[in-house]
Amino acid sequence: MSAVAAEPSATQEAILSAYAELIEEVGTDDVSFRLIALRAGVGERTVFRHYPTRVDLLLATAAWIEATIFSRQESESIFDVPIAIREAIEAYDRRPELAHVVAETAMRGVNGSEPAPQRAHLDAMLRREVPALDDAERRDIVAALCHLDSSATWVTMRRELGMSGRDIADAATWSAEAILDPIRDLGAPAT
Amino acid sequence: MDESLDTRSVILAGAAKLLRQNTFEDVSYLELAELAEVSERTVYRRFPTRSHLLEALGRWLEEEYFPIPEFHTVDEFRDAVRARFRAYDAEPAFAFVAARGAALSPTGEESPATFTAAIIAMLETTAPTLNRRDALRAASAARYFASPMFWARMRTGFEMSADEVYRAFDVAMVRVLPAAQRPSRAGS
Repeated sequence: MSAVAAEPSATQEAILSAYAELIEEVGTDDVSFRLIALRAGVGERTVFRHYPTRVDLLLATAAWIEATIFSRQESESIFDVPIAIREAIEAYDRRPELAHVVAETAMRGVNGSEPAPQRAHLDAMLRREVPALDDAERRDIVAALCHLDSSATWVTMRRELGMSGRDIADAATWSAEAILDPIRDLGAPAT
Repeated sequence: MDESLDTRSVILAGAAKLLRQNTFEDVSYLELAELAEVSERTVYRRFPTRSHLLEALGRWLEEEYFPIPEFHTVDEFRDAVRARFRAYDAEPAFAFVAARGAALSPTGEESPATFTAAIIAMLETTAPTLNRRDALRAASAARYFASPMFWARMRTGFEMSADEVYRAFDVAMVRVLPAAQRPSRAGS
């Protein structure tokens, strides 16, 4: 998808981080390209050349935020995923405005950012560690974990249930454990 | 007051109409003003930023197109969610906007928590012995997996149909809702 682009250049990085800063200061709506250019130390035309529309810029910024500010270590085992989710929720809680941006861009359908970026990695870990699962079972577990391991978890639990970051991290980790519990003893292959 | 509420609904209904042909990004305040027969300034007064508009529109679409039937038991809850996912599949443009609106940083409008309250009430009656912390965990997971966000992620990231999304939802619920571990109604 569009968000999985090549590594941004230094100029692009300056633009994306400037926009991310401004989002935290004033929100996504009221930021002009002029202001972004000024903050990034580039000309307004440079911003337009790299990101012709506001949507292009927003999607690239969301991908950059995910890759840098909310970056995470890849889990080595599927059973480490609940811990990774806890760390991710704590990171979202520290940068709430950016967490909202990442959540919203993932909900745009084919015009948005990749909604399940960890899918292939989770699928590979499950194939290796719990080979007894059939394709449908594995897909449903990957689906549930992808959904839990996203900023939308933090958004929903905060907005709809008024939960604190600590309670959200607890609930998301607990849910991920509950998803994994039934397959814990299915047995890994002899290695 | 009535009149102002009407203006708001007329503007949102106009936005929904435009969403049938355009993405939310292409919906202009000028077109909304023309459709609602009000001035552009009135539209800006109601929805100062596009975030305000998106959040209000998402909520309005959920109420108008995806109303949640009453539910008291886990089975009724599951039926309600299955019906919702099918309704999202029938109106995907509206469902994606509902998912986006729910993901935004809140613009300060009161959020109607009826669906959340209904899930909490359902858990209290079906699993009265659940301790407070587990009840919160289960309620929050149920609320999250029943959301348009889950449908949106499953549809785009996993290419699932409404019934497949429901299946994935149900698999998650059987695991996170202790009270859901009863056999579900056959053939429903």
